[in-house]
Amino acid sequence: MSELLNNIAAAAGPAAQSAGGKPVRLGFVGIGGRGSYHLDCALGFEGVEVPALCEIQDERLQQAKSWVEESGRPTPRLYGRGEKDFERMCSEEELDAVICCTSWKWHTPVCLAANRSDKHAVSEVPIALTLDEAWELVETCEKTGKWSTLGLEQVLLESTGGMYLNLLNLIRAGLMGDVVHASGGYIHDLRRVKSPGGSEPWRLEHSIRRNGNLYPDHPMNRFIPHMDINHGDRFVSLVSMSARSGVLNEYAAATLGKEHPLASTEMAQGDYNATLIQSEKGKVVTLNFDTNTPHPRGLYRLQGTNGVFIDGRGVGESMIYLDGISPESHRWEPAAPYLEANKHPVIRDYKPAERKSVRGHGGGGSKVPLTWHLLIRNLREGTTPYFDVYDSVTSSAASPLSEMSVANRSQMVEFPDFTRGKWKTRKPFDVS
Amino acid sequence: MNKKLDRRTFIGVSGAGIAGAVAATSGRSVFGQAPSDRPIRLGFVGVGGRGSYHLDVALGMEGVEVPAVCDVKPAALYRAKRWVEEAGQPTPNLYGKTPTDFERLCAEEDLDAIICCTSWKWHHPVGMAAMLNDKNCVNEVPLVQTIDEAWELVETHEKTGKWTTLGFKSPNSSITNMIYHGLLGDIVHCEGGYVHDLRNVKFNPDEEPWRLQHSIDRNGNLYPDHPTCRMIPVMDVNHGDRFDYLVSMSSSAVMLNRYAEMMYGEKHPYAAKEMKQGDTNITLLRTVNGKMYTLNFDTNTPHPRGITRIQGTKGVIMSGQGVGSKIYLDGVSPESHQWEDAAKYLEEYEHPIRKEYDPGAGREIRGHGGGRGTPISWHRLVLALREGRVSDFDVYDSATSSVISPLSEQSVAGKSKAVDFPDFTRGKWKERLPVEVAFNNSRKG
Repeated sequence: MSELLNNIAAAAGPAAQSAGGKPVRLGFVGIGGRGSYHLDCALGFEGVEVPALCEIQDERLQQAKSWVEESGRPTPRLYGRGEKDFERMCSEEELDAVICCTSWKWHTPVCLAANRSDKHAVSEVPIALTLDEAWELVETCEKTGKWSTLGLEQVLLESTGGMYLNLLNLIRAGLMGDVVHASGGYIHDLRRVKSPGGSEPWRLEHSIRRNGNLYPDHPMNRFIPHMDINHGDRFVSLVSMSARSGVLNEYAAATLGKEHPLASTEMAQGDYNATLIQSEKGKVVTLNFDTNTPHPRGLYRLQGTNGVFIDGRGVGESMIYLDGISPESHRWEPAAPYLEANKHPVIRDYKPAERKSVRGHGGGGSKVPLTWHLLIRNLREGTTPYFDVYDSVTSSAASPLSEMSVANRSQMVEFPDFTRGKWKTRKPFDVS
Repeated sequence: MNKKLDRRTFIGVSGAGIAGAVAATSGRSVFGQAPSDRPIRLGFVGVGGRGSYHLDVALGMEGVEVPAVCDVKPAALYRAKRWVEEAGQPTPNLYGKTPTDFERLCAEEDLDAIICCTSWKWHHPVGMAAMLNDKNCVNEVPLVQTIDEAWELVETHEKTGKWTTLGFKSPNSSITNMIYHGLLGDIVHCEGGYVHDLRNVKFNPDEEPWRLQHSIDRNGNLYPDHPTCRMIPVMDVNHGDRFDYLVSMSSSAVMLNRYAEMMYGEKHPYAAKEMKQGDTNITLLRTVNGKMYTLNFDTNTPHPRGITRIQGTKGVIMSGQGVGSKIYLDGVSPESHQWEDAAKYLEEYEHPIRKEYDPGAGREIRGHGGGRGTPISWHRLVLALREGRVSDFDVYDSATSSVISPLSEQSVAGKSKAVDFPDFTRGKWKERLPVEVAFNNSRKG
């Protein structure tokens, strides 16, 4: 395999010759807002090739093709013959990894097709919509040695200059004590995005048919590392509650007219969901979800035995209170100096290169995102992304579990142990 | 006995006219604060930190008498006696021979109401003793600790016509006024809690060491009333809606052992004693009409006080340490999906009850509570007693607020199972009007 890749690299010419000598070959499935961001990031790397693209909307496919060509790379092979053409791409192409940015329901099928064709996969959130999908991803990874992960999730590594990774380092330094409780969520008014003519109208289908905590992964990208879930602890149970639904009907009536079918279509999804998750060692998570009501974005709060951290819209800047350390008793102070003093080595040492262009939907500004820097290194070195298959499916599984609980009057639901006991011996979560 | 009956008849017949008549004849008085022909007679049970505050407020009000005081601690009892005498009132009758001496006080004294500020476990017995002896009772939080206690108070209220309530709580606020005027739309979700580091209070013998026993024996959301008494009117609970069920989850318990060890050494018994109460508890409640309420409880970990948030279909309001007071109103706030300062809205929608009230420039109030003059809670309470009606925050709402605590204990003990919420109104919630609708109706009437 590696010999074959080296041969291909040699044939590909100087543009693809990386420092490591071995090009990384990526195929893209789904190249809309988020997919085009990732494609643009990938094209900024020397030694990264993009020989194949898959997208069912021809306009997007042709645009992606032109971006690849403009970057000086060979014209990629295009796949767009129906929704499942990614399967043909996975079986026919020689690739190190597939980057999947389709709508939600295709994430697991694309990942599985990749793994089964000897390719790694990186998916956008959520990586799975059902527990069966989550287990299948884990089992396929264990069988094939190829992984599927949320390895390009940016919240931990890149939000506010890597603040949450620095917070992890601050936890490791013992300043927060043991973590007791974390509260956060996806609180983001997406009424317009979900409506017909919006950027992701397929999201509305989930609001019509499902009721739970449907977008857990951005907050989970903080909870799992900060609480050592799957790394010395694990989630054991969950209860979930949804409010009544009505806001999406009201929004449709206001924007599309009272006669529009969506003004009266029954929406299963409650306008607010709160989910409580307990860990084996007695930590508790409050996971909120609200993409329907009008609001600024939500807060993240982490309570430890020695102190507490909070940030988000409305707080101004991130704040901290450390027992016996903060100058005023039981009063917040700015967290920035503590985060700065406890900078995570990965954040401290990362010297991002400028991106050649900045296109698509994503963070990182004009610099090469840390997530992409690490992913390419993983692929070159044969290592696993920082948020591995176990962490990734644990993150997304909160969604189907919450649906089960909501459907049964907030009944307690047991959280599967995707590591099958390995959480006891897996090292504390870290990024290197 | 005759005297008592006469007085009650008088209240029943002409109670509504008293305050108005007094206001009209007393040129210097603020509405409802006037001296009356008829004094309001109060007995105090428990005059520690909070009780002495309430006593001091009462002693500053004209037309309020304190003929009886009860406390098991002589120091507190004699301090109260001295305060009553210094206020120019006759020496009160003192009770405190045994922990249940309040029963003798209730039986022997002729009083309009009992003010109960004991430790938690006596709140329900004092309320019962008061009502069974033809007296009302205003309690500090929590009103009850078990579901049976809650039902007993409700049933005794319905039988005797006397009430026991968290009567210092006010259902009317700027927030309920804003909601009445439609600013937030329909309420979808509320979050609040009692997030207050009380480790020192639980261990300090001069504070409230009896609180520690609750952390040893119980595990749930043990102090729901401060946030819930605000949220019940916000969500129209018992007034057009009601709580349907709750689920509750507690974290592990390590903080109190560590605190004992740090303060008193690792040999201290409390450094190793098993504490049932999880350091953090979160309880989710749902109403039959589909509103949600996240109620947090944490008196063990180190933190600044918590945050309150109310989400409606048209906007959201949030306040607390670290965030100040913020609001976002869809289509109204200047920047899309950005908070703005809530101050101008809170001022514009200040509740008429508060706007029209002047606490006066009295001396500083002693005890745990602070402030000057007569707080509006006391003004409203005495007004209710004069008018012969139940306190603003009534028996059903009070029982509903406090019963969250035993319900949450059941849920936690059953691995966060859903626990049905009792309907103390027995169906009357369907007809009971939202508090601001009732208030505005009464204004028009």
